[in-house]
Order: sequence, then structure tokens, then C-alpha cells
Amino acid sequence: MFFAAIGILIGIIVGLILPYTYSVTYSLYISVAILACLDSVFGGVRANLEGKFDLKIFLSGFFGNSILAAILAYIGDRLGVPLYYAAIFTFGGRLFENFASIRRLLINRKSEKSD
Amino acid sequence: MKINRTNLVVFGLSVMLGIIIAVQFKQKVPEMIPVTLKSIETTKNEINALYKEIEELKIMIKDKEEKIEMYESILDGNENLSSVLKEELRKNKTIAGFETIKGPGIMVKMTDNMDENAFGQAFDMDLIHDTDVLRIINDLRIAGAEAISINNQRVLSFSEIKCGGPIIRINGRSIGTPIYIRAIGDPQVLSAAINAPNTYGYALKNISQINIETSMEDEIIIPAYNGVFQFRYAKPVREGD
Repeated sequence: MFFAAIGILIGIIVGLILPYTYSVTYSLYISVAILACLDSVFGGVRANLEGKFDLKIFLSGFFGNSILAAILAYIGDRLGVPLYYAAIFTFGGRLFENFASIRRLLINRKSEKSD
Repeated sequence: MKINRTNLVVFGLSVMLGIIIAVQFKQKVPEMIPVTLKSIETTKNEINALYKEIEELKIMIKDKEEKIEMYESILDGNENLSSVLKEELRKNKTIAGFETIKGPGIMVKMTDNMDENAFGQAFDMDLIHDTDVLRIINDLRIAGAEAISINNQRVLSFSEIKCGGPIIRINGRSIGTPIYIRAIGDPQVLSAAINAPNTYGYALKNISQINIETSMEDEIIIPAYNGVFQFRYAKPVREGD
């Protein structure tokens, strides 16, 4: 949890300082990929808190999900069907689920400590 | 929290994710507006208009090239300069309306309503007015008339059509009924401009009971403007002035 939050913050600062940008045409695919990545990180944090973290699952999910989401968005663009909605709904829903689990775990842990 | 491999990997990937998010923030993503059928139609029309413009420019280029060729042949001595200039003068005179011209077209004959039963209550509704003639002429021009005359008076850009009581004044001369309007152009289109339902000519004929007869002719002769016209106030604007 701590590492993930600090990592994202540092990443954002570094990214804002770095002068690199990519073509605007890819921005839709990248945004969907970002959503998938965020979901993976939240899932990783949750698994970590639950004590069932598996590095292989985390890594494969992080890259696999984002690439799949980007490809889905691309195919949707070609076909004229907004397929990236599938990625948005799936990962967006899971993002909130994961966050809810993290909240419960943290709050339960705190209340156990204070008891 | 200990620093172990797992946490380092999560940290590393989070940094990567952060960088991507930041770069995405920096992008100026253009606002996507859904394309409506109407906007497609508008764009299509714009494209067609541009194509038309290109065509016109091409014709213009061809015209200029021909002119250059002509000048070159004058330089070579193949053509006489004065004959070329005479030809040009003739052309310009024709365009300006100072040349008698002929061609296919229609003749419109208009006479007042001579019936005992007057249309409406005011008797002047049975007469042909200057505005009637003006509107008929405008309809003919919309239909592509190249030259128009009224009772052998050439209608030019500076010709007035004015009410003079029972008569109409045009080019400073008075004309009375019957009024003969001659126009050179596509005879069928011109005839349709007068006779087709919902045109002004149709309304005049069927509502005001003005007698309008049209006849398509293979050869209509339209006389030259026979007055003297000079610009007193207007001066041409040349490049460099």
C-alpha cells in the first residue's frame, strides 16, 4: 500500500518533469491501459494485505491486462464499436471492489490493534 | 513495512504507472465530437464547392495559357496585332451589350387584361406594371438568360424599368403594351421559368388574368444598346493604385 502510493506519486512527478510525449492518436489506448494498470496495482495491494500476494500473478496481470485493454480499444476503433467500454466497466468496477476490500482490511486491522 | 522483492516490484511498477499517467496528463487530448449526418453533409457540400472552384480555376488557367500563346504568335509575326485587338474589342462589346446578337431563346408577349370582368376591385390590377416586368426579367435571368430585350430595348445592368402611368419607361424610352420580352438562352428552361406552376408568370396569367404568351424560337435577335453610356462617377480600380 505504502510502496504503491509513494511509487505512483514519484512516477507522476518524474513523468511531469520528463519531456517525452507520444502521439495524441494513442491517447485513448493508453488511458484504457492506465485503468487496467491501476486495477492491477490495487489488486496487488489488496492481495498483499490479505497475505496471498503472488509476484507472477501480479506481473502477468499488470502487463497482460493493460495490453489486452489497449488492443481491445484499438480493435473497437477499427470496427467502429466502442469495445473499450468493456475494459472500462470491468476494470473500473474491479477498481472499486479492490478499494473496498483494502478499506475493510485496513480498518479491521486498526480496530484489532486498538482493541 | 520491510523492503523485500515483492514491495520493490510493486514500487517499480507503480512508478512506471505514475509516469504513464503524468505523460497522459500532459497530452492535450482533442475533444472528440460525435460526427452527425448533418455535419457530414456540410463537409460534403464544402468539398464539392472546392472542387467546383478548382474546376473554374483550371478553366481560367487554360484561358490564360491560350492568351499567352496568342501573344507569342503575335511576337513571332504570325498574327497581326490590330486584327487581334479588333477581335478582342468585338468580344468585349458583345459582353458589354453594344453588339446585336442572335441565338435560340424565347419571346414573351404580355398584354393587359382586356376582359369586361375585371380582376379584383381596382382596375389597375388588370394592367402590366413595371414590377411585373422586373420580376419576369429576374426569373429569366435566374433561368440563365444571356441577353434580354424589351420591345427592342436592350436590358443592361444600367437599364431602368420604371412606371410611367399606362406605359413603362426603359432606357429612357417609353413603351406600351403589348410588351415583347425576348431572351436568349436555353429555350425550354426559359419557357419553364415563365410557365411552370408557382412562378410569377404563372400567377400573373392565372390570377391577374394578364395575357402572357411564350414562344420558343430558334433564332431570336436582340439589338445592341443604342444609347450613349459613359461612366461619370465610377472609375476602375487598378492594381497598384
